[in-house]
Order: sequence, then C-alpha cells, then structure tokens
Amino acid sequence: MIKVKNLRKVYGHGLTATQALRGVDIEVKPGEFVAVMGRSGSGKSTLLHMLGLLDIPTDGEILIENRNVLRLSDGKKANFRLEKLGYVFQEYSLLPEMTVLENVYVPALCLGKENSHKKRAAELLETVGLGERLNHYPNEVSGGEQQRAAIARALINQPKILFADEPTANLDFASAKLILELFRKLNRELGQTIVMVTHEPEDEKYVDRVIWLKDGLVEQWSTPLPISKVGISN
Amino acid sequence: MGNVKLALFLAYKSIIKGNRWALTLIILVMSLSFANLLLTPSILSGVTNTLDEQQVNTLYANIVIDPSEDKYYLDRSSLIEEKVEHIPGIVGVSAHLDTSACIEYEWLEKESSSDKGKGGTWSIVGIDPLREVNVTTIHEHIIQGSYLDPGDRDEIVLGVEVAGGDRAETASFLTLQGAQVGDKVRLTYPNGVQREYHVKGIFQAREMTRADRLAFVTRKEMASVLGRTIFTDRASQILVRIEQPGEENRFIKEFEALGIDGEIRSWREYGGATSGIVSSFDVIASLINSIGLVVAAVVMFIVIYINVINKKRQIGILRAIGIKRNVVLCSYLIQALFYAAFGVIFGGLVFGYGIQPYFALHPLTLPIGLVSFAVKPATIQIAVLGLLLAAAFAGFIPVLSITRQSIIKAIWGN
Ligand SMILES: Nc1ncnc2c1ncn2[C@@H]1O[C@H](COP(=O)(O)OP(=O)(O)OP(=O)(O)O)[C@@H](O)[C@H]1O
Ligand SMILES: [Mg+2]
Repeated sequence: MIKVKNLRKVYGHGLTATQALRGVDIEVKPGEFVAVMGRSGSGKSTLLHMLGLLDIPTDGEILIENRNVLRLSDGKKANFRLEKLGYVFQEYSLLPEMTVLENVYVPALCLGKENSHKKRAAELLETVGLGERLNHYPNEVSGGEQQRAAIARALINQPKILFADEPTANLDFASAKLILELFRKLNRELGQTIVMVTHEPEDEKYVDRVIWLKDGLVEQWSTPLPISKVGISN
Repeated sequence: MGNVKLALFLAYKSIIKGNRWALTLIILVMSLSFANLLLTPSILSGVTNTLDEQQVNTLYANIVIDPSEDKYYLDRSSLIEEKVEHIPGIVGVSAHLDTSACIEYEWLEKESSSDKGKGGTWSIVGIDPLREVNVTTIHEHIIQGSYLDPGDRDEIVLGVEVAGGDRAETASFLTLQGAQVGDKVRLTYPNGVQREYHVKGIFQAREMTRADRLAFVTRKEMASVLGRTIFTDRASQILVRIEQPGEENRFIKEFEALGIDGEIRSWREYGGATSGIVSSFDVIASLINSIGLVVAAVVMFIVIYINVINKKRQIGILRAIGIKRNVVLCSYLIQALFYAAFGVIFGGLVFGYGIQPYFALHPLTLPIGLVSFAVKPATIQIAVLGLLLAAAFAGFIPVLSITRQSIIKAIWGN
C-alpha cells in the first residue's frame, strides 16, 4: 500500500538547516494499523506530512498503491488527497464557520456526490458517537467531539489510508480511549489502513505494528503483535 | 460544476458565519469608495453642465443663424424670424444687430484730452426686448435697475463687467469703474456716430468670459445708428431657442429645408472656450478617478488581506483535505465580488437618494454659478467596473499568495 524509499527532509538552509528525516525506508501493507513513535523532534510529524502529501520531501520516493505520488502535479495531488487519503490533525482542525455536519461533508461535496453526502456524513457522525451534534458549530462541542468529527471528515470519501498525527494528544484519558477504540474498530471491521503518530507507549496495544523513529531514521520495527489484537478485544 | 458549487458554498458560509464587524467594515469601505468614484466626475460634469447652460442661456440659445460666409449681415431677418417661429417646438427667435463701440463714463471729468478717463471698447448688441426674453435669460439677471423696453431709444443695459465697481471680477481699470443705473454714458460707434445713453439696468449673468462683457440697446436704436433704412430688417445673427435641448440637429435640418440663406449651427460649435475646459475636466476627472480607484483598491486590499490572513489556517485545512487551490481562490473571489456588489448597491443608494437629491435642492454656489451633480451613465459604468475589478484584485492576490505557501505553513503559521 505505502512504500517509502530513502525519504529525506531538510528544513532551512546552510547553518540553520535541520535534517528532520535522514533516509527513511518503510512499508505499510493494506489493512495494517501502524503506529509511528519516537521522541519529540524525531521526525514523526514530518514523515506523516510527507505521506499525506502536505509537504514536499527533499529527496526520496513515496509510492502509494504503486503510484509515485511525488511526481503528481499540485492539482492531481489535491485530488489524490481528496479521493485516497484521510488526514486527522493533532489540533482541532474543523472549519469554524460550518456546522459539524457540514464540516464532515465538505470533502464529499468536492467529489460531486450530490445527494448521498449528507446522509453518509450523518451516518459517520453517528458511528463516532456524534449523532446528536450534527448542527452544532465546532465551538459548541468539546475537544474530543471535535476530534471525532475530524475523523468522520477524514473518512467521508472512504480513503485508502487514514493518517492521524497524535489525534489524542489534547484529550483526556476517556476521550482518547474512545478514539483509539474507534480506530481499532475501523481497522478490524472495515479493514481501514491507518498510520497514526503517537507518543503514548500505551497505545501500542491497539496497533499491529510500531515504527520507531530516532533522529530522522527508523530505529526499529517492532515485531507484529498479534497478541495485542486478541488481548484487547474482549 | 461541483467545484463552482463548493466555492459558492464556502463563500456563503464564510460571509454568513464570518466576523460581522469585518463584513460591515468591508461593505462600508466599498460603499464609500463607490460613492467617491461617482462624486468627483459628477461635480465636474455638473460644472460642465452649468457652463453649457450659461452658453445657451446667455450667449447662443440653442441654434445660431449666421450670415453666409460672403456676407456681413442676414437680410430680411424678419422673414427668417417668422419662418422659423412657426415650426412646432420653437420657443423663441431673436435677431441681433451687433457692433462694437467705445463707451465712456464721466467723460466730462477728464482733466485733459490726453487723459484716457473711464472707458473702453465693448460689443454692443441691438435686440428686440420682447423677442429676446424668450431666447436668452439676461433679463433674469438684472441686479440693478431694469431691462430694456421695446420703445427705449436712449437707454442702455450694461453687463456688470462693463459697468465695473465692486461687483465686477475684472480689474477696475478695464471697466467703467462703477457706472450706476441712472448715470450717463457716451458711445462712439465705428462709423463715427456718437450718442449718449442712460444706464437703465446692470446685469450679472455669471458668464464672465463674454456675456457679462456685453451692452444692450434696442435694435431700433442700433439700426438708426448704423443707417436706418438699410438696417431695420438686417441682423448680424439670429438666435433660436428650442423646447427640447438636445434636438438641435433635427431643427437645423428643418431650417436648412426652409432654404434660409445663412449658416446654421448648434450652440455647441461655438463652445470653443468651454470645450477646452470640458476636455481638461475629463482629464482631471480620470486622473482623480484613477487615484480614487487605486486608493479604494488599496483600502479593500488591506481590509480583505487582514480578513484572509485570519483565515490562513482554514485555507490550509481546506487544502489539506483535498480542496483544490482554484476552488479556494474562487470562493474568495466570490466573497470579494459580493462585497463589491453590496458596496455598489449601498454606495449607489446613498449617492442616488442622499447626496444627489441634496445637491439638486441645495446647489453649490460657485463663482461660475450654481452647480449640482450630474451623473453620467458612463461614470456609473466605470465606477461599477472599477470597483469590481479592484475588489477582485484585492480579494485574489492575498489568497493566491496564501495558497502558494505550503499547506503545513498555512496551517501552523510562520
Ligand atoms: N517548519 C520547520 N522548520 C524548521 N524545522 C522544522 C520544521 N518542522 C519541524 N522541524 C524540525 O524537524 C525536526 C522534526 O520535527 P517533527 O515535527 O517531525 O518532530 P516530531 O517527531 O513530530 O515531534 P513531536 O513529538 O514534538 O511532535 C525537529 O527538529 C523540528 O525542530
Ligand atoms: Mg509531531
């Protein structure tokens, strides 16, 4: 599903240049739920930005479904993001001028799915437990609820891959748990491929595999933990 | 299609749920800019209109019949008057018998024959008062004394710039230096005839370049000076007033069809001095307007820019979820055009129902006369187009620069 070869990212020039990624090679299989972990500054967000086509790497290759996505034009990249990728940011990323429901169906509107998008958005919000909050504005719901709405938005166009950058970092324990369980459910029941950045070692038990980053390099791949899947599902 | 709809949806949401103060402010700026774009050209064309009206009212009426090129006078002028008069739509016809004369005031007080005294040379116009009042408005501008009567022989009416005194704009030594009603003046005509007249009235038509420098006597008197038998039925010029200004050319054709032996022209062909002024005004107006447009564009740019900067993060998020740059650009363009449209509507209402009617009731009193606003359709078109373009520009550029940044930068700042 995703193949990354020798990915490098340098921020800035000359003396102030920061090597955020220094040759990362990773692979993600369809249906996998992968966590990216590592210390602060190790390059996790940078990696996810590159994978989500939100920023351009300095060097390297990214293949998604065997397409060299870095070669796409700007417009094609936008289309690729719209159709194939879902992205959940760490911080609240809903558009404040739209209701929760509208926020969720905006990406569908763009694909011209005229009639079904509202219904599907409402269903997704139901799934993430926001069935009662459809017509509220973002500032009228809690942080955890906003994050769940953002997940619903990321899922509206049935993406091949869902990216999430520390989606629970700003949430309390209960809200965080709700979201992680939602991810696991999506992964298990719908086979959703998920790449999630997290700094909570605890989260390891929800995922299939952990990619550890250190100073812009992959330090190790944790062995697949089939036990974790069995262990958590009651 | 889906993209346009989405852009509309985004623009709609942004306007409805956006900052009310920003919205009010932007539309206010647009309205004022629009009114401003109408203001200067309208004042200037108001001035032009006033100047034009003065030319018509005091000097030329609507149509001027001059002698043919090879003649000095129109013969059998009463016949021409009669012919023209009977055409429907004609308000008045008046034949003039012009000459120039040296006018002197208080000539007896000269101390020696080499003393130039109070005098000068001016144009003298012989008129038939009963006819003239239908054609020009000089009689409405008498500021002292009264206008001529048909039987007057030793009476003269002077323009204020001839009579002089405090009311005149001309330097005193170029006038009679304060001739009053009831005073006597002496005229010496080019043919040597010398006559004395009582000043019967003084007028001020506020057409300083020519009308206020004329003196009027009756045509009978003028004919007797020039040689009664020949000149009784001669005219130097015949002025025609029509009911509907603007129809001059149609009447000119009709006159020509009557076989009048003379040159027939619209007053516009005489507006030599004024047409120079008018085209200077056009240059000034377009200069001021270009500046006004640039200022409007800059102000809108700043206001929209601040508004857009506040939405930088939102623009980044929109692009992150896969909305194309063009859709985002289009949505902000729609917003800018929406602001401009409301600016045009509100600004237009304020101008059309506030400023313009006010100045129509209370015209500006300028030295050249009363001036009210005259809005030309072309002015409105230019203002609307200019405002829309400026708004589109002001809305487009900041968003373009933001969408050219990386998405990550737009979302996380710096
Ligand atoms: N826009 C930027 N300009 C310059 N340097 C940057 C930029 N973004 C990130 N960096 C640097 O790149 C390195 C990796 O940053 P990154 O945000 O990927 O780390 P991270 O693993 O996500 O950390 P955290 O856990 O704190 O979110 C850091 O040293 C960071 O300072
Ligand atoms: Mg990070």
